[in-house]
Amino acid sequence: MTPIKAAWHHIRRSPFQSLVAVMVMTISFFALFLFIVASHGMSSVLNYFETKPEITIFLKDGLDRDTVENLQKELTNYPNIREIKFISKEKALSIYQEQNKDNPMLTEMVTASILPASFEVSVSDPAVLEQISENFSAKTNQIDEIIYQKDIIRSLLTWTSFIRQTGVIIVTLTSLITFLIIFVIIGMKITNRKEEINISRSLGASSFYVKRPFLLEGIFYGAVGSLAGTGTVVAATLYFSSKINSFFDPITFISMEPTFYLTYITASLLLGIFIGYLASYFGVKRYIRF
Amino acid sequence: MKLVFDHVFKNYGVINALKDIDFKINSGDFVFIVGPSGSGKSTLIKLILNQTTPSEGKIFIDDHLLYTSTKKTIESLRRQIGVIFQDYQLIPDKTVEENIALALDIINTPAVQIPQKVDTVINLVNLSSRRHLFPRQLSGGELQRTALARALVVDPKMILADEPTGNLDIENAWNLVKILQDYNQKSGATIIMTTHNLDILESLKKRVITMKYGEIVSDTAPASPQKIKKHKHSPKLKK
Repeated sequence: MTPIKAAWHHIRRSPFQSLVAVMVMTISFFALFLFIVASHGMSSVLNYFETKPEITIFLKDGLDRDTVENLQKELTNYPNIREIKFISKEKALSIYQEQNKDNPMLTEMVTASILPASFEVSVSDPAVLEQISENFSAKTNQIDEIIYQKDIIRSLLTWTSFIRQTGVIIVTLTSLITFLIIFVIIGMKITNRKEEINISRSLGASSFYVKRPFLLEGIFYGAVGSLAGTGTVVAATLYFSSKINSFFDPITFISMEPTFYLTYITASLLLGIFIGYLASYFGVKRYIRF
Repeated sequence: MKLVFDHVFKNYGVINALKDIDFKINSGDFVFIVGPSGSGKSTLIKLILNQTTPSEGKIFIDDHLLYTSTKKTIESLRRQIGVIFQDYQLIPDKTVEENIALALDIINTPAVQIPQKVDTVINLVNLSSRRHLFPRQLSGGELQRTALARALVVDPKMILADEPTGNLDIENAWNLVKILQDYNQKSGATIIMTTHNLDILESLKKRVITMKYGEIVSDTAPASPQKIKKHKHSPKLKK
């Protein structure tokens, strides 16, 4: 009997224990992959806002060239600055005209003199925005107004962080529970098959020969459970992707890239196999002592 | 396979299961161990298989001192020993042929050779019609023959048979003994058999080690040439 056949024989002989092991593993990986998809979606939303000019600093009229250059220099000293764009009054007018080209009434009445010059600053770490805002708000002689999507970014950061932290806690807990359940199930199976193990040992079976089917059983639970869990999430997200993505439009919350799914399914499979193997390894080590 | 017991004692707490057991069985010998229940026969078998260790004394199999041998050596020695247990020790959820094939699998027999080897022994013990049945579906005699087939299939250098005729009718008991006798003569394997069957003992004229209360009370060498005495229940054994 091949080791795989022997492991399959063990699984079939106690189907309910096997079912519990697979189901617990499935639930763990369902939770894990769900958090991965949610976290990936939140990262896409955050990335969308991060790649926008997050902060716009409007300057007061009448500032001389040196003052403007000093302000720009000060901005460049902040960490994680991606881009600083100076929008002069003339440039602001042309942007305004471009945005309202379909409404001549609005463009005719506006001249460059009434539009303020500004800096548009984009950053790679949204946390910097807070510092810039605080420091530049204090320069009341030079700065007219500061606009940035503070609340959105803050809220997004909070949610992303919450989802990631909750995900890590839930996945750690479910992984631990899965590990313990497989450990106990393998232990029960070993106890049930004590007679068979002793007979095999009397016939000269090596320690590894006896342990191997139980280790393969753990790997089986890990592989099937992880594939079932991730498969369910993939099916559900693909089914609801159009609705979710249209809600977040223009952001792609649910990724449709096959490489994204392939990467995470492979990683989940390997992790499932690892957890299953580790649990059965410790079960075998605990219950078969020779 | 040679077996040496060198002043072996085995105690279970205050109970002395074996006391100063000292004998040598040469390669190719056919030896009976007799004695009433509780005389220590099964403990002796367990010691040979290294399922338990002696409290005192030494046991050698082919010059390997058992309790100091490595795990690998013990496993290798066990693979060369065919065992017929008193309680058969067949795996309940495996069929007759799967139980027999297990022994071959354990000694790493190539998968393609297993069916043929299993067929040979199943035919030898006359269990062809029972090969797909599970142990619970077999009679005591069939269980015993399955255990015999499992012991023989690995071409062992030694066979340990613990009361193998205990559950057999006279004819099947003689058939089993004949198979063991033939195997002993053809392969030169050592056969150690515990039994209560006096007919068999008297007929075969082999060496008999008699035990009582954990001690050897007699060790008699074969009295006459090793051939099977004519017996009313052993028509197939007549030559």
